[in-house]
Amino acid sequence: MSTAATTASVFDELAAIVGPRNLSDEVAELITFDIQGTQSAIRVSPASAEEVAAILRVVAARGLAVAVSGGFTQQHIGNPPERAEVLLDTSRLVALDHYDPGDLTFGVGAGATVASSEQRLAEHGQFLPLDIAERERATIGGLLATNTSAPLRHGYGGLRDYCIGIHFVTGDGMVAKGGGRVVKNVAGFDLMKLMIGSFGTLGVITGASFKVAPRPRQTATFVCEFASLPEAIGFRDRIMASALTPIRFEIVSPRAMEYVAAHSDARDPDHYHPEAPVAAPDTSWSIVLTAAGSDAVLARYRRELSAARELTGSAEHDFWNGQLDFHANVAARHRNAMLMQLSVPARAVEAALAGAEHAAVEQNAMCAALGRAALGSLTVAVIPLSVDPPSAMQYANAASAIRASLPPDGSAYVLRCPIEAKAHFDVWGSTPTDRSTMLAVKRALDPAEILNRGRFLL
Amino acid sequence: MLFASSIVRQLRKIAGRDAVLSAREDLMLYEYDGGVQRALPQAVVFPQTTEQVARIVKLAGKEGVPIVPRGAGTGLSGGAIARKGGIILGFSRMNKILEVDVGNQRAIVQPGVVNLDLSHAVAKHGLYFAPDPSSQKACTIGGNVAENSGGPHTLAYGVTVNHVTGLEVVLPDGRVVQFGGKPAESPGYDLTGFFVGSEGTLGIATAITVKLMRLPESVATLLAIFDSIDAAAQTVVALTSEGVTAAALELLDGWTLRTVEEAMHAGYPMDSGAVLLIELEGMREAVDDQKAAVIAVCNRLAREVRVAKDESERQRLWAGRKNAFGAVGRISPSYYVQDGVIPRTRVPDTLRRIEEIAKKYSLTIGNIFHAGDGNLHPLILFDSRDPAQMERTLAAGKEILAYCISVGGSITGEHGVGMEKSEILPLMFTPSDLDVMQRLHDVFNPACLLNPQKIFPMARSCRETNAAAHPAAGLAFTQGGPA
Repeated sequence: MSTAATTASVFDELAAIVGPRNLSDEVAELITFDIQGTQSAIRVSPASAEEVAAILRVVAARGLAVAVSGGFTQQHIGNPPERAEVLLDTSRLVALDHYDPGDLTFGVGAGATVASSEQRLAEHGQFLPLDIAERERATIGGLLATNTSAPLRHGYGGLRDYCIGIHFVTGDGMVAKGGGRVVKNVAGFDLMKLMIGSFGTLGVITGASFKVAPRPRQTATFVCEFASLPEAIGFRDRIMASALTPIRFEIVSPRAMEYVAAHSDARDPDHYHPEAPVAAPDTSWSIVLTAAGSDAVLARYRRELSAARELTGSAEHDFWNGQLDFHANVAARHRNAMLMQLSVPARAVEAALAGAEHAAVEQNAMCAALGRAALGSLTVAVIPLSVDPPSAMQYANAASAIRASLPPDGSAYVLRCPIEAKAHFDVWGSTPTDRSTMLAVKRALDPAEILNRGRFLL
Repeated sequence: MLFASSIVRQLRKIAGRDAVLSAREDLMLYEYDGGVQRALPQAVVFPQTTEQVARIVKLAGKEGVPIVPRGAGTGLSGGAIARKGGIILGFSRMNKILEVDVGNQRAIVQPGVVNLDLSHAVAKHGLYFAPDPSSQKACTIGGNVAENSGGPHTLAYGVTVNHVTGLEVVLPDGRVVQFGGKPAESPGYDLTGFFVGSEGTLGIATAITVKLMRLPESVATLLAIFDSIDAAAQTVVALTSEGVTAAALELLDGWTLRTVEEAMHAGYPMDSGAVLLIELEGMREAVDDQKAAVIAVCNRLAREVRVAKDESERQRLWAGRKNAFGAVGRISPSYYVQDGVIPRTRVPDTLRRIEEIAKKYSLTIGNIFHAGDGNLHPLILFDSRDPAQMERTLAAGKEILAYCISVGGSITGEHGVGMEKSEILPLMFTPSDLDVMQRLHDVFNPACLLNPQKIFPMARSCRETNAAAHPAAGLAFTQGGPA
């Protein structure tokens, strides 16, 4: 049977599962759901885990592959799909499973947006302690699949700390769950941990439960500036050894501050304007903390951080929104920029940031970096200076130079770079976790390798 | 299965002459854990290195003999019992702290390191290891990893899995692999997180990288005294929904607190209906604020709220909680500690229900538990010499767990499934959920030689025929021990 004929008969089978209105093979529509240059032939939107299972069984039986999509905010991560005839869209998996404000637990379908979940929680003064960009589009399933890290992680922990239950469908169509909806639970294997950060390669996440938090009644943000990276790190070390317990604790490189949206007058290295020389770039490193608590708590921070600039109210709000837009701002202004996500122990943050600065300069690029100062979760942008697009080799060299500055258990994967360059180097890099065991786990849950094929590090 | 003396000889060759037990009187010390279930191993070996562990595991694989890792044997669900016989791998000689990395707030430890010993060892740096099971003076970090242990202070800081970032693991085929490391996370599957809490069924952790936390600047311990258990339960709900983030929030009912008070003189008023033991930790100013908030909420329903004035008063209040099980042991020949979880809003209904169940079965049930996260430990008193009473005790335990599930809870919050609850795991998970978990089990442990017949119901367990298998239905019996 020809591919076109296969696709046509698959279309009918999928239509029987989700109903004719919930799938499409219109090229004009599918082109808007392009994943790194790959377009699917069919987009299908199931409304239940059972429908997801039925779809995956059809896909596997026909020898096809599936890409899973939420709000399309993170599809730039990883390799381009090897192939993806079917796009499985989670936007109809939005049912609220449970919300018990008194118990501070919340469970919702994977396709629910972060914004809609936040709205629901805000009615009771609660929130998912996760400050991320593009909340109107980003979905709960996408957050989990990509293990999105955000500044509040410092004070509240990451998704692996507060996701208490997960529902998913394996590659061969088994509907499964792990955990539950109570905050403490050791019954059965911890499938939440396995699914978080698996980039849709072990199963299609259909829903999840979380511990939620009461929104702090009062916060203030303190920006502390330093002339050099070592001075900023020295200050960070003093805070880490102090009694202060900030809910955000970020380090921001001099250039990164220019891409925080609040700074609209940022320099743009892609544009050459000899008649209007830009202002001298900011050279200071910043440590930025958010404190939450009563007047007495905030007064203590003021006392201990006497040299800091304090942001409250809308200035504070704008600053953090700007910080969240860092990635988007870099990408919007420099389509040739490469962004990487680094994870290192606290003591290696200084070497990693210095290494990134150095690696960028070597490739005739600028470096802008920010991230969790104490947790060692950093986002690094390598921004080419020249107007000419850099060669793939320059990205590869920058990535390997950055990786060379990390300790053996550190890691650095590419969040974004031009697709053409991705074929020429390893966008995921190394991980301390045994590959053969990961591969065996992958084969157990997706035996026909139909899920997000070719995109992940395995 | 005939256990060949050649296996003992080979174990001695690997671990040393003095590192293997095979005499019946020695083995009997290893046939139980914190519960009452028993099964006799054929040999106990005490490896000293990862390499020895790998060689022993390979030997067990070659001979087709089960192998069961064991820390201090304080577990309460039969996780460290050699249910099918075979070799127990005791970790008392792998008890070294391999590295304390102050700057990164990490330590790398061998599995036999005692939980509290690590906190003591790093206290000079102002650091500690947060998970604090009541058995922390004896239990090992390897055991904590296997069971994903909790404790009173996990309310604020999370259970063991939230404090482990890396593992060196010996797989059942003898390969030594690394999962994670010192960084908070890495790209790829989170096999570290998946491994923690797998109850020794996936592999044997031989080096564990844990987070160390900074000791809090200020600690406040409060005792709220109530005339009725219902008032205490309502206060737990109010504290949770008002967003008070206590470090610990423990409830003792009237019967339990009187029993404890008689033994420990912790300062709990004998005529009260229930007490809440509340601990607040953090920055001085934050603790002061929270203290005011807690007192305000408690005063709505409490008879009195006391604040510990100094460290010795604080220790006295905690001594009552931490030694409660010993106190109960003074007055009852046997007791059965359950471990169930409910949504915190259901604490009042659940306590009423437990009272009804106690009446129905004519049993005394004490309640002492981690109220802040809804983790119940009903304590059922019985006399093991009376078979009818034992049966009623088991039935009552099962009914309490069934109620937990009916309100959206769990059959275990921190003790694990092990042997005790393997038959009732299907009350929480569908056949398809369990199939997926078993597929993952088989990725690591396909021959089921590592800690066999745990977690999954016997009918599913490793699909092999087994003459020694108990035709267990419902809960298997576990008794006593710290929670």
